Amino acid sequence: MLLPKFEYHEPSTLQDALNLLSELGGNAKVLAGGTDLLVRMKQKIDRPSHVISIARVPGLDAIIPRNGHGVTIGGAVSAGAISRHELLNDRFLPLALAAGRLGAPMIRNRATIGGNLVNARPAADLPPPCMVLNAEFKLKSASGEREVAAVEFFRGPGEADIEPNELLVSINVETPMPWTGGSYIKLGARKTLEISMVNVAALITLQSPDGVITDARIALGAVAPTPVRAYAAEELLIGEKPTDELFERAGMTGVGLCSPITDHRGTMEYRCMMIEVLVKRSLKQAVERAKSWKP
Amino acid sequence: MKDFKVLNTRAPRIDGPAKAVGKAKYADDLTMPGALYAAILQSPLAHAKILNIDTSKARKLPGVKAVVTSKEAGLVRYGVSPARYDETLFAHEKVRYVGDEIAAVAAVDLATAQEAVELIKVDYEELPAVFDMFEAMKEGAPQIHDEFPGNMNAEVHQEFGDTDAALAQCDLVVDHTFLNKRQDAAFIEPHSCLAVFDLDGRLTLHTSTQVPHYVMRTVAMVLGIPVGNVRVVKPYVGGGFGPKCEATPLEMSAALLARTTGKPVKMNYTREQVFLHSRARHQFYAEMSLGVMKDGTMVALRNKAVLDGGAYTSFGIATVYYSGSLLGGPYKLKAMKYDGYRVYTNKPTCGAQRGHGGVAHRAAFEQLLDMTAEKLGIDPVEMRLKNIMATGDVTINELDMSSLGMKECVEAVRDGSDWKNKKGKLPKGKGIGMACGFFVSGAGYPIYRSDTYHSTVVIKVSEDGGVATVLTGSAEIGQGSDTTMAMIAAETLGIPLSHVRVVSGDTDLSVDLGAYSSRQTLMTGHATKEAAEQIRNAIASYLAEEMDCSPESISFSDGIVKFDGQPGNFQHIRVQYIKEHRGWTDPPSGEYLTFREAARLAYLKGGTLVGTGKYKPPRLGGSYKGAAVGTSPAYGCSAQVVEVSVDMETGEITVDNMTDAHDCGLAINRTLVEGQMQGSLSMGLGECLFEEVKFDSRGRVLNPSLGEYRIPTALDMPNVKSIIVESSEPHGPYGAKEVGEGAIMPTIPAILNAISDATGIRINELPVTSERLFMALKNKENA
Ligand SMILES: Cc1cc2nc3c(=O)[nH]c(=O)nc-3n(C[C@H](O)[C@H](O)[C@H](O)COP(=O)(O)OP(=O)(O)OC[C@H]3O[C@@H](n4cnc5c(N)ncnc54)[C@H](O)[C@@H]3O)c2cc1C
Repeated sequence: MLLPKFEYHEPSTLQDALNLLSELGGNAKVLAGGTDLLVRMKQKIDRPSHVISIARVPGLDAIIPRNGHGVTIGGAVSAGAISRHELLNDRFLPLALAAGRLGAPMIRNRATIGGNLVNARPAADLPPPCMVLNAEFKLKSASGEREVAAVEFFRGPGEADIEPNELLVSINVETPMPWTGGSYIKLGARKTLEISMVNVAALITLQSPDGVITDARIALGAVAPTPVRAYAAEELLIGEKPTDELFERAGMTGVGLCSPITDHRGTMEYRCMMIEVLVKRSLKQAVERAKSWKP
Repeated sequence: MKDFKVLNTRAPRIDGPAKAVGKAKYADDLTMPGALYAAILQSPLAHAKILNIDTSKARKLPGVKAVVTSKEAGLVRYGVSPARYDETLFAHEKVRYVGDEIAAVAAVDLATAQEAVELIKVDYEELPAVFDMFEAMKEGAPQIHDEFPGNMNAEVHQEFGDTDAALAQCDLVVDHTFLNKRQDAAFIEPHSCLAVFDLDGRLTLHTSTQVPHYVMRTVAMVLGIPVGNVRVVKPYVGGGFGPKCEATPLEMSAALLARTTGKPVKMNYTREQVFLHSRARHQFYAEMSLGVMKDGTMVALRNKAVLDGGAYTSFGIATVYYSGSLLGGPYKLKAMKYDGYRVYTNKPTCGAQRGHGGVAHRAAFEQLLDMTAEKLGIDPVEMRLKNIMATGDVTINELDMSSLGMKECVEAVRDGSDWKNKKGKLPKGKGIGMACGFFVSGAGYPIYRSDTYHSTVVIKVSEDGGVATVLTGSAEIGQGSDTTMAMIAAETLGIPLSHVRVVSGDTDLSVDLGAYSSRQTLMTGHATKEAAEQIRNAIASYLAEEMDCSPESISFSDGIVKFDGQPGNFQHIRVQYIKEHRGWTDPPSGEYLTFREAARLAYLKGGTLVGTGKYKPPRLGGSYKGAAVGTSPAYGCSAQVVEVSVDMETGEITVDNMTDAHDCGLAINRTLVEGQMQGSLSMGLGECLFEEVKFDSRGRVLNPSLGEYRIPTALDMPNVKSIIVESSEPHGPYGAKEVGEGAIMPTIPAILNAISDATGIRINELPVTSERLFMALKNKENA
């Protein structure tokens, strides 16, 4: 398949990129890894007359720890880099795990976190971990900047709270409390190179290794028009001692919050039942990891 | 076993370096000065009358050089079996599936050709369409071909013995039904070709095909070119697995456009067009009953098949025969009845794919065997061992098992998998299963009725005597046939493998029916061996004359020549050789006469040294209708044991271990044999667990990409323990026979039997997705 014709831009500073975006706005598309955009252009779903590569904009591909309290991940950091990053694996595990399950190695080398979030597919791998980590997305345009919480960012399939003249420059995450553990589980047909039928990210904070749950966050993908936080299930957990029975109840509550569709990858009925199982499992894994938290 | 120098080793493939460094040329790598690019217009509707085709706008687009429709192409009917020529290059009157070809355009570049295709205006009158094979058979269903009422493309009815009577006398009769799904062969290289005419009207067609010979015949027939003026050349091919076994509209359009424009024309299918052209595995529905005695002796099999053929016939007639004939073995039966129906539907056409026609029914049958063993309380391995055939047995449908290491295969996988300590002893959620199968080593007859040789080979020795070049029309498609032929030639001539070159895949070189029905090792192998023997004998007789000894006293091995096992008094030959090649860098040396010197001597005495070999099978098979399908000079067979883990909460299946034993006769190249075994297993695993071409309600393929059509990844495949069993096949060159397709036969049922062992559930519909298994587990729980 051939790409339709377009004009190509390769700004080398952030300001140039933002200026181009504000000039060309709706007629332009940002090109990061291209693993979504180029596919959509070949299929003639997207027909931008301008394509603005951010490959040469400095700094967008950096992961910068903020001395102890958090980390800033550039919008153009690849899934591969995230999955291999030591600090992210240590303190922000759901994100590192999810990035390691995105596509296959070749895709992970190109696919960026910014592209994954802005693309806003309901089944994408990176939104749920960002949601449980309470990530904030920094959006910049020629005329200003703003921060949007991950939980507010996704509006519908393919729709996110970002304007055509804005660039997602970074993802900011606060370091979770001590005795926190996280998990990410993805269900697809194959062991890899899969679009999720259901995916779940969980983050659990305990009072102490054998104490009660003080904070719980669960986010689900591919179960509704946008990825969703399962607040009701989270509430059920807080203040309780972690038990299998509790996790099972949380799983059942989680299902109630979802409205998955039937498509050629799986039926609504199966997806619902899997939400229950996977929520339970992800909580269990998160608690195990919380218990073995190390300073 | 004979002491081979080259055969039976793990010699690296001769095309390995070119492929490893990216120098191997595939069809899309070929370019020619002035070449045009072409694109095809395909029907967006599944079933419609064509009222009018207006190409005027497309013709006016700058850069467009030619637009062709059925008006220009004519209406010559073609297909695979002459008995069912039901296609024309371009649809006229009506289209029968989404993707049916209507027109083609050649232009200065691809973008222009594609734009022009969109400018062709077709007026349709949409007709009701039918997509389900059972619906298509019903009264009142839309009729797809006027000549085939009831959408019945082909029917087969065969009976051996009195099946009803035999079943009535059995202690136990078990019934089973099974449904697989339409597959795509998912080869990595989409079809691609480059067609060029010379000034004398001779066509050269470079194309990604498995069968240059058949493509040559069909293109000549459809375009009305004398067949002697068509040359088909196959560059390296990135896989075929069956769907590249026939001439395509791509090849014929390119050739037609090249003739129309007088320019070379280049053309590719996109991945989506590969799915639309299809010709891959049918959807099969199987209904079977197996009758046995209490002690596990198998008596009679009743087998019914319904095949969803899609819009045209392709290989379908052979396919529907194979679903019956390939159950004749490897177990002894007293009676067998088969009723097969291939039905037209408004979908892309199905054809042959690895394990042609046999795979789904083998899966059904091997499951049924396990179900029966379970009811009788007999271990599935014992049940099979009790009934299997051995070398020399003839199946009830008259297939001659001239060598059959079936028992050895079963025992090898039983012991290799530690079956005895696992079967019945694994925890819930873990299971072990086994199955067997067999397949032809080349079809006994060509696709068209003919006395043609199935293979001829020419070997030519270079002037200096140092290199033997094998010239063959056979098709290297990644399976390693060039390496195989080089090894057979090297062994026969008694020279190192590095002294043999192979030029293949070109209809100008020799006759060869191509890479299908697992035929080349046996058939091209025979012809190669005979050609090499001719050269060896010629050299021996010239040498004998020169040395004044008997030809029988001369032996060739490792590139050296011995006389009664001794160096002999050959110095005058060496002196002459060195004199002739004064100043060259590589004078022959050593204690013995070299092959090079001997071959040079033969050249001096008789001119360029050429050997030719040929092969065609003897008359095979019974005299009943359809007896030809399933016949082969030899049969390969295999057994597999699969171990799985099932996640009982999600239905996810992990294949943990596969143990595979295959009897390929003499393994010409052990690494290539294992490659075929493992490739077959992976393809079977994919069909069993993931693969299904899906359609929307209007007959459009929903998942025409390798993103959404799921073949196994490296993480889905377990390590395979591959055990090569080597019976000696009297009809094979050096005792060799097939491995390329037979190895897929047991895979699906072995996985299904393992799933049943793990869960207690029999799944009788593919693919076994986590959802399908989970729902079945849940239904069982609720029941
Ligand atoms: C074979 C294959 C497998 C895949 N598997 C998965 C999978 O398992 N899981 C999954 O979630 N996804 C998967 N994807 C989808 C895709 O790889 C991911 O969504 C990826 O993260 C997209 O990132 P990218 O850098 O390639 O984005 P691009 O294609 O470059 O961009 C995607 C969209 O985001 C916009 N954009 C990109 N960066 C920015 C930015 N910084 N600011 C503003 N807008 C921006 C672009 O304009 C475009 O509209 C797969 C894709 C392919 C081809």
